[in-house]
Amino acid sequence: MTPSERKVLVVPCSGIGKTYGTVSREAAYEVTEDLRPGTTGLVALSLLVLGDEDARAAVRAHPAVTIDGCKLACAAKMVHESGGHVAQGIAVLDVYRRNRELKPQGIAELNEGGILLAHAVAEEITAVVDDVLAGEEGSTHA
Amino acid sequence: MPDYLETTVDKFIFRVATDRLYSPEGVWALADGDRIRVGMTDFLQQLNGDVAFAEVKPEGTAVAAGDEVAVIETIKANVEVPSPVGGTVAEVNPAMESSPEAINQDPHGEGWLVVIEASDWPTDRDALLDPQAYFDLMKSQAEEEAKKL
Repeated sequence: MTPSERKVLVVPCSGIGKTYGTVSREAAYEVTEDLRPGTTGLVALSLLVLGDEDARAAVRAHPAVTIDGCKLACAAKMVHESGGHVAQGIAVLDVYRRNRELKPQGIAELNEGGILLAHAVAEEITAVVDDVLAGEEGSTHA
Repeated sequence: MPDYLETTVDKFIFRVATDRLYSPEGVWALADGDRIRVGMTDFLQQLNGDVAFAEVKPEGTAVAAGDEVAVIETIKANVEVPSPVGGTVAEVNPAMESSPEAINQDPHGEGWLVVIEASDWPTDRDALLDPQAYFDLMKSQAEEEAKKL
């Protein structure tokens, strides 16, 4: 990915071993692999935590949508600390509160509610990506 | 604003307000005559993580001490909250419907759950822990939890 490309980065929380972390990662995969593969890129939070220069350069060059599974908001914080710009921070818990029927369970494998919740999160990210690329940036609430 | 006992276990800071009594399960009871305000302790809310939804027994519900007075759904678990006192639910915190995250943000204050009109507060009170006793219990519970990390 070059800085000149018009892309939005998706940065999910790592949340390994946690249901909401799995939801955030599955949503990120869906956006970057299926819904908007040409206009988004995935950045692993662990690379930012480790100070990986390529990852840091990427978040400085492109707006990011962060997905966080808990209020610690590690993804949003690490993008900020890496010198990047969070176009919008999305909290999985907020999406769940709007979709209570989608109760996520499971870690390695999500239940049906978790899969559908990940899809709902992915849809919200996609809307933000489209707005950002259209020049109408979403609000940051990280 | 109450005073607090405070301890740090691993990277977590836990506070216990000194103006109320506690059940061993981590529920506080703050008395105003026979009206007892009830909420989750700081330790209990931190142990269970971010709150998604709070379902609280409605006004007029009769509860015995130990009966479930609320179920708190968090990102980790469904927490059944036992009432520390018997009586009738006289008031429900309206924030539990619109912004249950108040439990995480201010467990001793804005995150209260219900007010119970106690039927026999003197008896129920004797079964509860004073702040120092709960603080000691909570600290040992927190240290046990920290070993699992």
